[in-house]
Amino acid sequence: MARKLSLTLYGTAFLISVVIFLSGVFVGSLIDRAALGDLSGNVKDISAKVSSLQILLLMEGNSSAFCPLYLSELQSIDEDMESLGYKLSYLEEEKNAQDPELKKEYFIVQAQSYLLSRKVNEICNDRKVLLINFYSNKDCELCREQGIEILKARNQLDIPLKLYSFDGDLGSPVVDAFKEKYMVRSYPTIIINEKRYPGYHSADEIAELIRGLDDN
Amino acid sequence: MDLVEFLNYAIAFFSLFVVNIFILIYLRHRHDYLKTPENTGWEPFISIILPAYNEGAYIRNSLNSLLEVDYPKNKMEIIIVNDGSTDNTLEIAKEFESRTVRIYTKKNGGKGAALNYGIKKSRGELIATMDADSYISRNAIRELLPFFDAEKAMAVTPAVKIRPSNSPLKELQRVEYLMILFSRKLLSFIDSVPVTPGPFSIFRREVFDKVGLFDEHNLVEDQEIALRIQSHHYKIKSSLTADVYTEPPDNLPDLLRQRVRWQRGGFRNYWKYKFMIRPDYGDFGMYFVPLNFATITAFFLILAIMLYSVFTTPYYVQYIWLDAFGYNVGLFTFVGAFVIITSILFTYLSVKSFKNEKVAIPYIISFILFYWYLMVGYNLLFVYKELRREGYSW
Repeated sequence: MARKLSLTLYGTAFLISVVIFLSGVFVGSLIDRAALGDLSGNVKDISAKVSSLQILLLMEGNSSAFCPLYLSELQSIDEDMESLGYKLSYLEEEKNAQDPELKKEYFIVQAQSYLLSRKVNEICNDRKVLLINFYSNKDCELCREQGIEILKARNQLDIPLKLYSFDGDLGSPVVDAFKEKYMVRSYPTIIINEKRYPGYHSADEIAELIRGLDDN
Repeated sequence: MDLVEFLNYAIAFFSLFVVNIFILIYLRHRHDYLKTPENTGWEPFISIILPAYNEGAYIRNSLNSLLEVDYPKNKMEIIIVNDGSTDNTLEIAKEFESRTVRIYTKKNGGKGAALNYGIKKSRGELIATMDADSYISRNAIRELLPFFDAEKAMAVTPAVKIRPSNSPLKELQRVEYLMILFSRKLLSFIDSVPVTPGPFSIFRREVFDKVGLFDEHNLVEDQEIALRIQSHHYKIKSSLTADVYTEPPDNLPDLLRQRVRWQRGGFRNYWKYKFMIRPDYGDFGMYFVPLNFATITAFFLILAIMLYSVFTTPYYVQYIWLDAFGYNVGLFTFVGAFVIITSILFTYLSVKSFKNEKVAIPYIISFILFYWYLMVGYNLLFVYKELRREGYSW
């Protein structure tokens, strides 16, 4: 039987498909860009909140009179920051939409917020536990798991736990300074209230560590 | 880009490519796809074989339409093969017994066996198969005959349609039948007709001498014979104007049962004829048979990818599920959307290509979604039954 589907027909069908396909890719990536742009606005909002709190703290020194205000401001900053972190991870992991500059800005805000939390904890005698998770997106099988375990540990605990996470391989000067300060040499490494615990820890182990802190 | 993502895009591209090939075949034949070749006045003797198993509800309609067809009565015979019916099929058939209509009763043995029995009792130069739950339009034979002459065809398929109705399930199947019909016509242009449908396909008698009779142990014997005829390098042509109306399942369980039968029988038949994947079988071997295997592979890949993405959804999505949902309107969704839009356009084109078939637009748009779920249903049942090696039954 003669073949009636010529190479020209196959070729034309292929070309039309490529055009339609690339249009889909183009429109889709515009949407993903827009999502990232949206997040960049979020970072700026949080950053503004952090700056106001910083100014307030500098003005009022170590007076505990403003603690209710400090705490409520911090709470709102933390909530925004956490959800922003998830969104960034989701876009990066699931949608392959990356923006290293945006991530660096995000880490700066996180670092500021961490330092503020520590300060407010001190001034207001607050019992919130601060946990930093240093991870890497390169060659770190357990880092993803570690993130999940930390969330599980927080759900197990009655003690309020504030989470911060830093990608140690991004080359962000702020993150590098933190790594230096806490002597982070490998991933994952978690820091609980300034104390370093290298390696992977399960949810139960983390919960145990935190309960231990509380007893002291 | 990871493997899953690559497969996603590859399948999307593949679907686009296939739909575009069909659209291009349509464009190449847009002026002649509805045309019937010129009538040469050839009026051969036609034997119509009507196997009937418990068709009391429909057979009267079917016989009336055959007797009203525009063709000389002395050049046709109708052979009813009562396949061990236990209802009033035989009684009703007896009312029609005449010089033209003959009735044979045999022990129940399946449709293929009944057809073969009828063929052996017949004497026509052409053999038409018929289903008792279908009826033909007056001009059906006149529209089918010219293809034999003009195209040197061994068999010609009619335009099997469903009457418009108020039932959404039937309307969706109507869209599907129109699309199948449209695709079959396009496939006939590249000598790759996938099936000679039970209701009113006409064959040259000699083709049965050359390739053998119907397979009596096949779930879809009307598909097997079409593959067999083409595996002997004979042509099958397709008419879009010889209307034949059939009664589709009117509820979901029956529809699923029918489709599982088609899928099981169909897959086995393609597997049996996989040797045709060779250049000397033309587009049938190099495009059509591989396409069937590719389609079923792609389907199961999509299903696997969907399951995989459910199980690998990150833990933290519960905290941002609304946003995550929003992000999913991103890249892949748009590629997918373009594929779906192209498919809807093809469906629209299929329906529009029949000048006198009107289908409500919502049915055309929802057809793709409906068909996807139908496919998930029957393919999963197909795999389940094959794995359990469940026996064939009608």
